[in-house]
Amino acid sequence: MSRFAPDSRGNPTAVPAQLLFERASKIMIERFGFPHLGIGVGLRTTHYREILEQWPAVDWFEVLSENFMHTRGRPLEILDQLAEHYPLVMHGVSLSIGSTDPLDWDYLRELKALRERIGAHWVSDHLCWTGVASRNTHDLLPLPFTEEALLHTARRVREVQNFLEAPLVLENPSSYVEFAGTPLKEWEFLKGVVELSDSGILLDVNNVYVSAKNHGFDPEAYLAALPMDRVVQIHVAGHTDYGTHAIDTHVGPVPDPVWRLLARARELGANAPVLLEWDAEIPPFAVVHAEAERAREFLGQVAVAGAA
Amino acid sequence: MTAASAPGLRQLQRWFASVTTHPEGVLEGRLSARRSQKLERLVTPGPRLSAIDGVQIYNDGYFVRLVECLTDDYPALSYALGEEAFSELARAYIAQHPSRSRSLNAYGQHLAAFCRTRAEPWSAFAADLARLEWALVEVVHEPASESLRPDALATIPAARWQTARLLPSPGLRLLGFDYPVNDFFQAFRDERAPQLPERAPSATVVYRQGPALWRMGLEPRAALLLKDLLASVPLAIAIATLEARSQATGTSEELTRLLPQWLGSWVQSGFFRGVELA
Repeated sequence: MSRFAPDSRGNPTAVPAQLLFERASKIMIERFGFPHLGIGVGLRTTHYREILEQWPAVDWFEVLSENFMHTRGRPLEILDQLAEHYPLVMHGVSLSIGSTDPLDWDYLRELKALRERIGAHWVSDHLCWTGVASRNTHDLLPLPFTEEALLHTARRVREVQNFLEAPLVLENPSSYVEFAGTPLKEWEFLKGVVELSDSGILLDVNNVYVSAKNHGFDPEAYLAALPMDRVVQIHVAGHTDYGTHAIDTHVGPVPDPVWRLLARARELGANAPVLLEWDAEIPPFAVVHAEAERAREFLGQVAVAGAA
Repeated sequence: MTAASAPGLRQLQRWFASVTTHPEGVLEGRLSARRSQKLERLVTPGPRLSAIDGVQIYNDGYFVRLVECLTDDYPALSYALGEEAFSELARAYIAQHPSRSRSLNAYGQHLAAFCRTRAEPWSAFAADLARLEWALVEVVHEPASESLRPDALATIPAARWQTARLLPSPGLRLLGFDYPVNDFFQAFRDERAPQLPERAPSATVVYRQGPALWRMGLEPRAALLLKDLLASVPLAIAIATLEARSQATGTSEELTRLLPQWLGSWVQSGFFRGVELA
């Protein structure tokens, strides 16, 4: 039985406290045994035509889970075609894993069915909450870095993993505020949640950069504190710097400081596939793909910690 | 802040969601001195960004994201009203219809009904245009289906037309309007800068054929016939009903010529997935 197999196939139940605190195996299998897919590109609707006509040589695509949910039509037909040609992974924005609302089991059932349909290698979402009181803001809202939020979130991650029968991969979001009176640092909170719940990390080095600017911490110290053997995937992207703060706009090429953080993460042992996100003023697919391929330059410049 | 005075996670989330989705923004909506103080007590300022400005980024993002979603689904309506009026309409819609779904695919589904509630000279036209644009969204999300073969109607024995019912494809919508919104939409697509039209009834079918979306304008008699067929009225009865109306208006001969053209075109366009011979 896998670590994430449920005890029963019936309705999901709350995870007992002792399971929550059962620590992960001391021998961590790198990336949970997920394949190293190479350099990928975030799939966007504006590129459907180019991709379906030209079938570019891309290592893999990351698809936005919710774009292919609540539909029975064309989006799924396109995704089915892509799944025949490319490795896919699913990236969600609405799991709301840190919310105090109950988990949405209809959403999770649809998420699991979509994963099975397209054979996605893994499912990721964000370490955040997106709404409360049955309302969804469709934003990645920040959690307070408290013990209460950490335990609450880790317990829910366990429940989701048991249901999906697979590790959940959690991304560090960008943030523009921090809550007062929170004893933990963001990286301590992320590390605590993934270790308590035995889940993976989608390390977004652009988000690390943006949050570091907004909150005044050292982005390299953030990276150094993470358990790099849990990093399943890395995101790179552009952002907009307003001087007083930066916003994670996913616009334009990846700035050099973000590429340098990617190289630093690699030095620290993050041997994971890299994906470029580009969501505003999106250029033709070839331009986006070429930008993603630049990751090879930065990854090639450094040796992986611990590698022979 | 001491641990004792800090709100619990649920309380904090409810407060943060209310502030970041307030239609008047963080400053406009929460600037009573007490509320402003609460925000500054709960949120830490950044090195160069105040607590209020940080929260306002989330408030701005909430409305920008949902207005953008509505603009994507309603490009012609956005053009027709102009950016400012459409944005105002969208923000009012967002305030009245907060998203309760994990997906944005159906977020704009109530906009046509919402337009009708607006006391504006363009409300009725906007509602019609929104219905057309929402039908396009709906049809995208309907599954593809097998279509009736082009010769299928010819193979139905004459005696069976009394009971034969055509089964509509799932990706098909027949819409009746008070305004010629399909013409307006086409002119918008062709970048012909259309003006808001005068009231004039019209009917349009929105449908999928493979990956492509299509719109077909229908004359009133064709719309009546198709409406009956989509309501499972048997073929012979639907045609007889239309013929009776044509006799009353003295257009029977013309109808005899048009009927096979309409039916042939509809079958060819994949309006039907099958025939039920009861």
